[in-house]
Amino acid sequence: MTDRVYLDNAATTPLDPRVLEAMVPHLGGRRGNPSSLHAFGGSARERLEQARERVASLIGASPGEIVFTSGGTESDDLAILGLARSAGSDQRHAVVSCVEHAAVREAAKRLQSEGFEISWVGVDEDGLVDTAQFAASLRPDTALAAVVWANNEVGTVEPALELADICAEVSVPFHSDAVQAAGRVPIDVSEVPVSTLALSGHKLYGPQGIGALYVREGVSLEPIVYGGGQEKGLRSGTENVAGIAGLGEAARLAGEEMDDRVAHERALRDRIMAGTAEIPDVSVNGHRERRLSNNVHLTVAGAEAESLVLYLDALGYAIGSGSACSSGGHKASPVLLAMGLTEREAFSVVRITVGKDNTAEDVDGFLEAFSTAVAQLREISPLYAG
Amino acid sequence: MSDRYRQQVVDHLVRPRNAGEIADPSGGGESGDAACGDVACFTVGISDNVLERVRYKVYGCAACIAAGSALAESVEGKHLLDAARVSKTDLEDALGGPLPAGKEHALTLVLDAMHKAFEDHWNRTAGEMLIDSRGDRATGGRSVVAAMSGGVDSAVTALLLKEAGYEVATVTFRLHDGERGSRSCCSPDTVLFARDTAHKMGLPHFTLNLKELFDRRVMQDFVGSYSEGKTPNPCVACNAHVKFHASSFLADELGFRHVATGHYARVEEGPTLARPVDESKDQTYVLWPVPRDLLSRTIFPLGEYRKTEVRAIAEERGLAVAYTPESQDICFIPDGDYRGFVRKKVAAEAGDVVDREGQVLGRHAGVVDFTVGQRRGIGVSAPTPLYVTEVRPRSGQVVVGRKHELEVREVEVRDLNWFLDPEEAACVQVRYNGSPVPCTVEEGDEGRWVAYLDEPVIGVAPGQSAVFYTEDEERVVGGGVVARRDP
Repeated sequence: MTDRVYLDNAATTPLDPRVLEAMVPHLGGRRGNPSSLHAFGGSARERLEQARERVASLIGASPGEIVFTSGGTESDDLAILGLARSAGSDQRHAVVSCVEHAAVREAAKRLQSEGFEISWVGVDEDGLVDTAQFAASLRPDTALAAVVWANNEVGTVEPALELADICAEVSVPFHSDAVQAAGRVPIDVSEVPVSTLALSGHKLYGPQGIGALYVREGVSLEPIVYGGGQEKGLRSGTENVAGIAGLGEAARLAGEEMDDRVAHERALRDRIMAGTAEIPDVSVNGHRERRLSNNVHLTVAGAEAESLVLYLDALGYAIGSGSACSSGGHKASPVLLAMGLTEREAFSVVRITVGKDNTAEDVDGFLEAFSTAVAQLREISPLYAG
Repeated sequence: MSDRYRQQVVDHLVRPRNAGEIADPSGGGESGDAACGDVACFTVGISDNVLERVRYKVYGCAACIAAGSALAESVEGKHLLDAARVSKTDLEDALGGPLPAGKEHALTLVLDAMHKAFEDHWNRTAGEMLIDSRGDRATGGRSVVAAMSGGVDSAVTALLLKEAGYEVATVTFRLHDGERGSRSCCSPDTVLFARDTAHKMGLPHFTLNLKELFDRRVMQDFVGSYSEGKTPNPCVACNAHVKFHASSFLADELGFRHVATGHYARVEEGPTLARPVDESKDQTYVLWPVPRDLLSRTIFPLGEYRKTEVRAIAEERGLAVAYTPESQDICFIPDGDYRGFVRKKVAAEAGDVVDREGQVLGRHAGVVDFTVGQRRGIGVSAPTPLYVTEVRPRSGQVVVGRKHELEVREVEVRDLNWFLDPEEAACVQVRYNGSPVPCTVEEGDEGRWVAYLDEPVIGVAPGQSAVFYTEDEERVVGGGVVARRDP
């Protein structure tokens, strides 16, 4: 695996060695339960609270507003289900964008099956949420609204401030999934009136299996996990101390290094954009400017996503595919369809996401491999007459 | 089963064999569609039934590309019969073992594309020939083309022939667009089902596209007959013009001697048609129009078996078809609503319902809704039940009367196909589920024959078949189409 080049950082990032170092003390030997009164427990509790401060600091929150979870999906589920279930019985409506991560989309569908009415808010061809439609969808019986901070597929950064302000004006709780945005886009919850905000460790060079939900002071949430009442009752269960310590360190590093990382990623991203633009019939999806610094999302006419990803894998380059093929049929991404891509186009998309550890050499090698793979697949494609 | 690809798949992906397309192919085929996501195209160069060149193109997942590559590589240079025998399992073996879960459709996709290229080759070779009867050019020994519909009867037919030592090639006909899911490679599809069944028996499978022929000789005739006030039998029309001719064409092309179908009937010296062992399944009534030269090369293995035995054989050999329900309806009208089918094709004009004296009893919405002998849907109330006794398409009249008015003692028959000396005709059957009635026959004008019935029968409708049997009712002397009754 050493010679392989990893360009799928939106799926998961490598674990930063400094993060690992922060976790190691909690992975072996004697350890305490943060709820225990003795010294072992106290030490664990200390690390927990230190991590909480660090995560809070990344987004301008108070430590008391951070709830640790098992990851981005649980954070989103806790927010969507928790907000809906704590709302009044006459509030059975939610407003959700069409470009949400599956964690939010499926939680909203779950609400729908429980009798909630969902207003799905559309996007333009760049994946930007229609703010006018969003505002018009809010009603007196709206229990919550949710729009992703930055989309995980095409990387479009949504107007979170504007959307949160719209909600705040009519006192509708607003949730945003910031899993991809955190560490790449400045997020300050003291400026943006979100009610809840989801974060994940493994997109930030932290460990997998750990995440956090920001819950604004005063916002009431119904838990989805019941037990010993940890995390102020919002997430029962003994805390994942090693994971939390890792997330804390990852958040600290992300805050400190954000400017450098973003500049580095952007340079690599733009190099990929420029290189792939030279291949005919390759187009960029997502907004050109309001875009995550690490994201390149392409439609490659005539080449099917899975075969392109596996072809590149065979050449030593790991990228993401934009669609999933299962049991005899593809499932086109709802996000891409919402942006107006045809089904066929949505089967021909790939996502290349750079990270802080990638180099210009990685990118140049990738561009060469990509050009070869695209040419080869088009050569055998009955759908491409270039 | 792993959810990761084997090295062989990746190897075919990165180093595809036989990719491309032949500029001037013997045949080309495409499978898949937008809903499925994947598309495979095969072009083949065939000479003397040998696949001299095979090229493929695929848009799709790695499994599809690799399957296309492995298939093209493995069949190039082979005899068509061997290529047509390659099963999904064979293809998986060529790819090093089972594909990851959910990727099996890749095998179906590329095999289907290749088979469609073969089909295109046959159809190009046939040209207009499939429209005419062909002479017996058979050269092979114990070799037979067996028609396979996907049902239990035709599957067991192929199996019995194989076990009897015949070299068997199977063929499925594309007759109309009504087959369930026929547009998608991923849906249940009779052709794919028949192919799987053939491959499980280790038999080569081919397809022929007969939609144009079937439309012209069967479906248009079906619709036309109703508007002419006749009662058509599409199975008879298919046997007269389509099924046996097409099987025979393929047998000729492959150098095979015989053709076979899953009909319940027997062929005896002459040739003539004889009743099967299972009289309850007797299909001689619909087989009378098979031309003598085609019948002489035909085998009906099921003529020696009872239906229950056929089902038992299928179950014993593990043929999935054993559990498919019996097909009763007209194949191109699966919902059984043939009135609705006809009405979609022809405009119906309202007319009068009259009695024998011409007195108007009511109105009807179109003559296409009526056949002789019909009791339901007349829309006229009467103290005794009324039956349709005649349909007059020119005047738009539907004549109704009481049951005894349906009785017929004389039937004029046209388009005769005699297997034996007409003098041997001792009885005639005029309905699919009827029994033969003793009669004497006499040659009339313009090649027509008249059957004088010893006893009256009811429900004889123009357009139906009249089939003559020998005195012991065991053999078919000949058959024809009812032109009119009781002049």
